[in-house]
Amino acid sequence: MGKKILIVEDEATLQNALKEFLAAEKFEVVNAFDGDAAVRMARSENPDLILLDIILPKKDGFEVLDELKKDRQTEKIPVMLLTNLENPEQIEKAFEKGVSTYLVKSNYRLEEVVQKIKENLK
Amino acid sequence: MKIVNDLDLKKQAKDLGTSVWKTPSFLFIVMGAIIIVAMTATYYIARYDQPEILVGAESLVVAILFIIGNSVIGKVEEMAKLNKLKTEFVSVASHQLRTPLSAIRWETELLLSKLNCGLNDKQCKSLNNINILANRMTRLVNDLLDVTRIDQGRLVLKKEKVDVLEQVKGVLDNLAPLANDKKISIVLSKRGRVLTATGDGEKIKLVIENLLSNAIKYTHARGKIEMKLYKSGGFLVFSIRDNGVGIPQNQHKQVFDKFFRSDNIVKYQTEGTGLGLYISKNIIEQSGGRIWFQSRENTGSVFNFSLPAVSH
Repeated sequence: MGKKILIVEDEATLQNALKEFLAAEKFEVVNAFDGDAAVRMARSENPDLILLDIILPKKDGFEVLDELKKDRQTEKIPVMLLTNLENPEQIEKAFEKGVSTYLVKSNYRLEEVVQKIKENLK
Repeated sequence: MKIVNDLDLKKQAKDLGTSVWKTPSFLFIVMGAIIIVAMTATYYIARYDQPEILVGAESLVVAILFIIGNSVIGKVEEMAKLNKLKTEFVSVASHQLRTPLSAIRWETELLLSKLNCGLNDKQCKSLNNINILANRMTRLVNDLLDVTRIDQGRLVLKKEKVDVLEQVKGVLDNLAPLANDKKISIVLSKRGRVLTATGDGEKIKLVIENLLSNAIKYTHARGKIEMKLYKSGGFLVFSIRDNGVGIPQNQHKQVFDKFFRSDNIVKYQTEGTGLGLYISKNIIEQSGGRIWFQSRENTGSVFNFSLPAVSH
C-alpha cells in the first residue's frame, strides 16, 4: 500500500476530487471534515502527510496545527496547507507554525497538488 | 489646463454620483466667494467705525464657512468610507468565489484525466472548454484580489532570487498555444549568462504573463513578437516588442491606469478588464524597478520593465 494521506477539507466536492485523484496515484486516503476530527484522526491513523484547510468547522486549521505540534505522536507529521485564503499574515503565521507548503487551491491543478505532495514525502 | 479641468463641476458630480451643489469643488468655490465678499464688506464697514456690526458680520461669515466646510468634510468622509467598503466587498466576494472555482477546475480535471469514464471526443472538448473558462475566471478573481490589495496598500511582495529567464520560458510554454492559434512567431533573445533579479517570483511571472498575453492578443495573425532579456547597470531589463495594433498617442498617459483599455482595441477585442498593466506597474515599482513603453497606433508597441539585478 502507498503512503497514507489525511485530507482535512469541509467542502465535500473538493474532498472528493482530491480523494479520487490521490487514490488513482496509489495513495491511501483518509478524510476529516472538521478540526476536531482532524486532530483525532491524525492520532489514530498516523498518516504520512496531512493536507489541511484553514477555514474549518469546530477548530480552524491553525488550532489544529497547534494541537498537532503539541503532541509528540503527531508533531513530526508534515503538514501542507491547502486553502483559498492568501493574506500575507496568514502565510507567515502558517510557516511560523511549521507548515511545509502553503498552496492556494484555486491556483493549482490536482496534478500540481499531487506533485507537491510527492516532493513533501521525499 | 489642469485647474480648468478640475473645475468641470458637472463631470465631477457625475463621477462622484452626487449633485453639483454637493461636490467639494463647488463648495470650495462658494467658500472662496464668501471670503472675498466678507473681506470687501469688512473694509467698507470698518470705515463707518462700528465695531459691533463688524464683529457680528464676521461671526456670521465664520458660521457660514463652518457649515459649508463641515458639509464638504462630511461628503468626503462618506465617500472614503464607501470606497473602503467597496474594496472590502470585492475582497470578500473574490475569496468566496475561489472555492466553487476550485471545485469546477478539479472536477473537470478529474474527468479529463486518465480516470475518465469513457468520455467521447466531443464531451472531452466541452469539458476542456469549461476547464479553460474556469481558469480564466480564476485569473480574474486573482486580479481583483491584487487590485484590492494595491488599493488598501497591502500588496506584500517577497524578496527572493528570481531566475527571470526561467520565468520567461515558463510563461512562453503556457502561452505558446495562443500564439500558435494566430500563427504569431515569438523570438526570445538574451544577453548574459546569469539573468537573475530580486523580487517576488510568482508576481514577476504574472507581470511577464500580462505583457506577453497582451502582445499576443493585440497582434494580428502572422504577426511577430520579440522578447529580450539583458543586464543594464545594476538592473535586469525585460523588453517585449510586437507589431500589433499599438496604442493611440492621445491615450499614452492613461496606459497604466486602472481599467484602462484603449479606444482602438475595445472595438474588436471585448475580452480584457484593463487591470493587467495597472497591477504590473504596481508590482514592478514596489520591487524597486521601473516599467515603461513606446507605442504607435497601427505599428506596434514595446513594453519594458527593469528589476534590481542580483550581483554575483
